[in-house]
Amino acid sequence: MSEPTALSKDSCARIEREMAKFPKKRGALLAALHIAQEEHGWISLGLAKTLAAMFEIQPIEVMEVVSFYNMFYDRPQGRHHVYVCTNLPCSLRGGRGMLRAIESHLGVRAGETTADGRVSLGHEECLGACAYAPMLRVGETYHENLDVEQAKRLIDALE
Amino acid sequence: MANITIDGVQYEVKDGRTILQALDDLGLLMNGVDVPHYCWHPKLSIDGSCRLCQVEIKGQPKLQIACNTPVADGMEITTANERVKKAREGVMELLLVNHPLDCPICDQAGECKLQDYAYEYGVAHARTKEPRRALKKRVDLGPTITFDQERCILCRRCVRFTREISKTSELTVNGRGDRSVIETFPGFPLDNDYSMNVADICPVGALTTKDFRFKIRVWFLDDKPGVCTGCANGCNVHLGVANNQVYRYVPRRNDAVNETWMCDEGRMSYKQIGAPDRVQEALVRSAVGGLVSTKLEGAIAAAATKLRAATSGGAGVVAALASAHATNEDLFVLRRFCEALGTETMGVAVPIGRADELLIKAEKAANGAGARALGFKDAQSVVDRVKAGAVRALIVLGHDALAALGGETALAGLDCVILLDSHHSPLERAAHVVFPARVAAEKRGTITNHAGRVQRLVPAIEPAFDAFSEGEVLMRLGQALGLAGFAPGVSFNAREVSRAIGQAVPAFAGCDYDAVGDEGRLLGGAGAR
Amino acid sequence: MGLKAPYVTNYLTQHFADDAFGQVDGYVARGGYEAARQAISRMSPEEVSTLVKDAGLQGRGGAGFGAGLKWTFMPKGNEKPKYLVCNADESEPGSFKDRLLMERGPHQMLEGILIAAWATGAEKTFIYIRGEYAYAAKQLQRAIDEAYSRGYLGARVMGTQLAHDVVLVRGAGAYICGEETGLLESLEGKKGQPRKKPPFPAMYGAFGMPTTVNNVETFSHVPHIIKHGKDWFRTLGTEKSPGTTIFGVSGHVVRPGLYELPLGTKLDEIIFEHAGGVPDGKRVKGVIPGGMSMPILPAGQLDVPMANEFLRERKSMLGTGGIMVMDETTCMVRVASVISYFFRDESCGQCTQCREGTGWMNKIINRIERGAGSSEDLDVLLDVAGKMEGATICAFSDAAAWPIQGLLRHFREDFEAHVREKKCPFPASFEL
Repeated sequence: MSEPTALSKDSCARIEREMAKFPKKRGALLAALHIAQEEHGWISLGLAKTLAAMFEIQPIEVMEVVSFYNMFYDRPQGRHHVYVCTNLPCSLRGGRGMLRAIESHLGVRAGETTADGRVSLGHEECLGACAYAPMLRVGETYHENLDVEQAKRLIDALE
Repeated sequence: MANITIDGVQYEVKDGRTILQALDDLGLLMNGVDVPHYCWHPKLSIDGSCRLCQVEIKGQPKLQIACNTPVADGMEITTANERVKKAREGVMELLLVNHPLDCPICDQAGECKLQDYAYEYGVAHARTKEPRRALKKRVDLGPTITFDQERCILCRRCVRFTREISKTSELTVNGRGDRSVIETFPGFPLDNDYSMNVADICPVGALTTKDFRFKIRVWFLDDKPGVCTGCANGCNVHLGVANNQVYRYVPRRNDAVNETWMCDEGRMSYKQIGAPDRVQEALVRSAVGGLVSTKLEGAIAAAATKLRAATSGGAGVVAALASAHATNEDLFVLRRFCEALGTETMGVAVPIGRADELLIKAEKAANGAGARALGFKDAQSVVDRVKAGAVRALIVLGHDALAALGGETALAGLDCVILLDSHHSPLERAAHVVFPARVAAEKRGTITNHAGRVQRLVPAIEPAFDAFSEGEVLMRLGQALGLAGFAPGVSFNAREVSRAIGQAVPAFAGCDYDAVGDEGRLLGGAGAR
Repeated sequence: MGLKAPYVTNYLTQHFADDAFGQVDGYVARGGYEAARQAISRMSPEEVSTLVKDAGLQGRGGAGFGAGLKWTFMPKGNEKPKYLVCNADESEPGSFKDRLLMERGPHQMLEGILIAAWATGAEKTFIYIRGEYAYAAKQLQRAIDEAYSRGYLGARVMGTQLAHDVVLVRGAGAYICGEETGLLESLEGKKGQPRKKPPFPAMYGAFGMPTTVNNVETFSHVPHIIKHGKDWFRTLGTEKSPGTTIFGVSGHVVRPGLYELPLGTKLDEIIFEHAGGVPDGKRVKGVIPGGMSMPILPAGQLDVPMANEFLRERKSMLGTGGIMVMDETTCMVRVASVISYFFRDESCGQCTQCREGTGWMNKIINRIERGAGSSEDLDVLLDVAGKMEGATICAFSDAAAWPIQGLLRHFREDFEAHVREKKCPFPASFEL
């Protein structure tokens, strides 16, 4: 996979609109990273340099931010993110069991991507769905009150 | 001002300072009042993260970090009691949980704050049975620095240095929690004019300079105070000396000159001391044209003869081209020498290079300001007279004048060229007599930096061969010539010459060798620039 | 995908079953924005702060600091722009009430923000919402847009002299951004590492300007206090902790979910009467009463009123009101493992004690769970927890230490059984 380095005109325009909302444009860095990731799926070193230039900061100041937040990725990701919540409220209701079942179903461990690049599997530290466990998110969409079979069907339906 | 009490003693301190800053201002920090610290550094922003500098403040239920707690009038601070000691022990143990404890093979051993405080607080190791973090060893951060991630205690001094001082931002902490590591961005190595300072401020053995690494155990080194002579800034240094050899320069704090920093180029200039191209003996040009090594006495006699012959035509045919590497004392003797010979043609050559806004000055020699204050004109004025054929004899200190002369051939027609130099150069081809000069690390004397601060050089080593201060050579030559003011039998004494300068040149009053101490003192009036 | 209305409602959530309440028209039709109009047009900023202070509204983000009092810390005058920050980074495991308040009642929160803006003189509010709450963010942005288009935000709010802007900012997955200065750093586009104090946000906050940070729920209470008065507010809850809150009940209960109840409602009443008790006739073993940072209570201590003044007596706290119920099958070493992993993962890594202590505790606990622990390990664990307490830049280190201390206080026998039997003696417990 070649590393993305450029942002589309649309992404750049969106980032500039975000910058205008803050007293200092640096405030929009997280928003910009979300936008860049929407376009490319991850933040490559090349994208970090592009963003650094837009924000007039050093590339390392972009990557340190990427490294700090769970939702930013410094390597290519699968087409779908499946993240299972495994924090205590979910674990008490089988969240970790569900994650193990999905791991063996997909043949990857949490933190890995399937060989076909379809799914990146991960676990989450509380998604704020404590009463609706076990649950997972596919991208930004929550799926709550699942059982293992429902979860597998849901994942199998992802293209 | 605020009155505070530290361990029962009252002090008056400036408002708006934190406790550690106030202790630093008072000169007491780790020098009477021990408040151990890792992340705090007097010249970097306050980080407040290592949590080692906790102290007890009367009326506050929790211990507070001294680095970030502002002083307040009436504040009563206890820096050492059981509670404070216990808190520090706690921090020390946690710092050691993941530390490799590889002191026997660590180059920092002997000047490691982790080692020091662990010893002081009796926590030799953490009670951990868990595997330690396995991280990268010997990471090549850039041309000058090697990094051991496992030894790093994440105080972030190096990161702040690159953001606040060098303003190059090569370093960061990536990740979070116990996965935090110091890293560079691929393709952007730690490479700036001041990069080696990060090794000085690293309190542990994580950042080491490639130059000094594994050269010698630091406990064999004697730290001698000195001044870097690489440029007109005159950064204060410690020369690390063992076996009469200089192994390194590290910056010595002087808030009026270099704070706690120095540039890499200056730091590496110690290598010139032991360079193979040092002039190691006096040389006299033979009848057939070559330079022949001679004892000092013979060279003095030869120089005297040459000079006497050249000046027989009258005063005004002698000139001097001084080096801005020479001390005020050397230059003052040269000035008296010229005066006795009846010439006012004295110039100083100052090599010019790149400057920046932090420390690096354009004048690439330590004493240009001193030379000017002592009456030396720009080298060009001398060169013009040489080229006009008005000069028959020339005394040259060092070879910085080569540039102004446009090469040594400009001196080809002179009757007498006497060169005093520490390192070989093409200028020797034009010289009739060459004297081996000492370098700053081998000299006693004073130099005057760009701002007119007179600072002193204390001899840190003896040259391994016979080399002399320029002042000493000129003194002997003056005596051999029977010049006025050069009484026979008097030997060159930098301290005495220094005092004589103060009497003869008003700007230097109160700036003699002993008076300036290790911190230096500003010239009065003219000379400061 | 939105949340359902709570099982038990009160003033905050009474209209939450009604989708229209989330839209500006529906909100206005149910009396919405009247409190803001009243505050801005008929009360001075000081009167608003005083009313909220006298009502005794405690911040609902976990620390319980008085909301009205916090507003008065903001400097008077307008030399510098002043900001409000709405902390919508709800990340405390066990807590999901703010998500509900944003998804079902975004205008209620915005109205609270307007009133706080009037009280503090803030020109702008940044709502910092955790990155994972994409749906809530969408609802909120829609509500903000509606409010602008209808004149509830912008240059002349409802035709009054108040000008106020609201900016929605998405986080990106870091628990520590719920700490108010970690949040401010993140808001500025940096790593969310908490700031050392001083300076405090009221003097040097977002982008260096005076800033007050309040939680989603805290703002949501404010219009009701303006509308009904402090005496009304104090008829609910306890003397020291007035008003309602939204308890989130999770874990081993029949009806996990949200319950808006007066502060001071007894924990056992919430678990057994409202949430239906433990399924399958099992018994309770322990309950974490206020989100994961708060120490656990054993089954014998559930008769406690849910308010800080009572929970403190039992060495716990209300926190965010996230109640996690664990039945008799639960292995408390596994609970400790999950908790300590979370704090290890989320520590920002600045302070020595927190960075090193969270990792060390987690490793010890995991070793005990594997059956490779010794009895000294328990003492070391308590000692490490002690060293992590009260000595760091922010309260995260304390939050990491307290639950482990609580588990060892009440369930030391579980740990000792692992050491004795050299394995986990709770085969029926949840899977790790």
